[in-house]
Amino acid sequence: MGPLVTNGIISENLNLFLAFIIGIGFGFVLEQSGFSSSRKLAGIFYGYDTVVLKVFFTGAITCMLGLLFFSLFGWIDLSLVYVNPTYLTSAIVGGIIMGAGFIIGGYCPGTSVCGAAIGKLDGLIFVGGLFIGVLIFGLGYKLWEGLYMAKNLGSPKISSVLGLSDGIFALLLILAALAMFWVAEMAEKKFPREEY
Amino acid sequence: MKPLKWLALFIIPLGLVIAAVPQNTTKPYKLTADQLLGEANTRTQYVTPDAVADMIVNKDPSLQLIDVRSQEEFEKFSLPGAMNIPLTDLLSDKYTDIFNQDVKMNVFYSNGTVTANEAWMLTRQLGYSNIYVLEGGLNFWFDSILNPQKPASTSPDEEFARYDFRKSAGAALGGGGPIQAQTAQSQVASSPKPALTSAPKKKKVAGGC
Amino acid sequence: MTETTEIKKTKYLNPYLGGVLLGLVLLSANFIAGRGLGASGAIKSVVVTGMTTVAPAASANSGFVKEFRQSHEGNPMKTWLVFEMLGVLVGGFLSGAIAGRLKLKVEHSPKITSRKRLILALTGGVLFGFGSQLGRGCTSGSALSGMAVLSLGGFITMMAIFGTAFALAYFFRKNWI
Repeated sequence: MGPLVTNGIISENLNLFLAFIIGIGFGFVLEQSGFSSSRKLAGIFYGYDTVVLKVFFTGAITCMLGLLFFSLFGWIDLSLVYVNPTYLTSAIVGGIIMGAGFIIGGYCPGTSVCGAAIGKLDGLIFVGGLFIGVLIFGLGYKLWEGLYMAKNLGSPKISSVLGLSDGIFALLLILAALAMFWVAEMAEKKFPREEY
Repeated sequence: MKPLKWLALFIIPLGLVIAAVPQNTTKPYKLTADQLLGEANTRTQYVTPDAVADMIVNKDPSLQLIDVRSQEEFEKFSLPGAMNIPLTDLLSDKYTDIFNQDVKMNVFYSNGTVTANEAWMLTRQLGYSNIYVLEGGLNFWFDSILNPQKPASTSPDEEFARYDFRKSAGAALGGGGPIQAQTAQSQVASSPKPALTSAPKKKKVAGGC
Repeated sequence: MTETTEIKKTKYLNPYLGGVLLGLVLLSANFIAGRGLGASGAIKSVVVTGMTTVAPAASANSGFVKEFRQSHEGNPMKTWLVFEMLGVLVGGFLSGAIAGRLKLKVEHSPKITSRKRLILALTGGVLFGFGSQLGRGCTSGSALSGMAVLSLGGFITMMAIFGTAFALAYFFRKNWI
């Protein structure tokens, strides 16, 4: 019965080792899908490469369906799975700053490590920038602590906020994603370009 | 066939199934009906008023009394150090931390034992440990601790010791009667204090970032 | 006879297949550890370790360090995310090695110089590092993992990230296309 670590089925040290293995899988899939290239990643914002859209949403949906089906079969206790908390103000402001960082730097933390792993110096520099950014946040913590802690709404799920069941929301998300993929493919057919 | 069509063919039916199926209950019962019945039959959940009074007087930090009656009844009278969780609110999220732990003994009480036992059944079924019921409830508490009956002169010494203890405890806890010597308390042959079972906390992992 | 120009294609996985595999990795993380993937948290661990090593007294008073310690007792480097990120490094390398993509280079649009690209990368990194702390996660932790568990906060952060990037895309177009 999952989650394995919360239910005491595996030890903390094994958990950390498995984290390493899962990370290998994560890094491997990201790089295989082309997420080690900043030009591919930025492509979604200019319409020339929609890999981010496809991989991201397919990934989220696959896991979402997986979790819901596992719960249905009694293989996992969803109430013990971490749901990201919602701190309304910092979620939005942080997201805006990250968005700027994304379009300027062309990477996000996970993909920058992938890029650095295959020798991309811009990826490496991005990682360096990440450390600096986090350090700045930490040193000046008192200045933005209020913003950081504001409007804690707990850990609501999108489905409950919309008044839908998890399953119905999943279906709607699937349909929305497939529609986006279809549009993306039409756009790509119109503008073929070199693969970065 | 294009990859997109394969993907759609696969995930749309899955989505339809998961949307149609009723949402799975999130808190599966952790104890089977047999286990629960066994515990109820052996009355392991009961704590005597003597034991509780003893803990209160000695300021035992591991005791947590929980009044499961309504808020008005709680405000009219409650045991020292008790908190109020009306039975109707018992399963609310804000109290999960109180039950999901192995540091304190949670002792439910109500006027009799019916409501307290209901609370015990519910929380026990969810797998929480260190949960008890005050034997006889407040009614018995009044009779035994706050207004103890003086035993007949032919009763054994233990009875007298118990009576003395109850009187002093009762005085300390708000009943009538003069405060007796402290020595009486240590001679009480009360039922052994229930031991804390160490139940591993089901803590959600910290995620994010 | 007309010559057709070949479109150069680097051999990447089909994005849908990549997405499914990513989803399975994420699912295994949730099943095994009860949490999703992440990245910025590992950076936070390293920074906290650095802060406490270099200036232990000052760090003890830091709100930032205290907030970190609330959810992580013990060694700040012995966390799920740090081990996961080490794995990402290895996994990325393996994938690059297998596909023949290992090469030291600065990837940039031909319209800008390498130097400019590196400056942009640094700027982007600083912004993203700061933002990820405020947003309690990056695209992997908040957006991807958050979406998979239907978290409202994750969804909001995701919309903010992508919305802002789209909005600002026009101003930075010269760096990419």
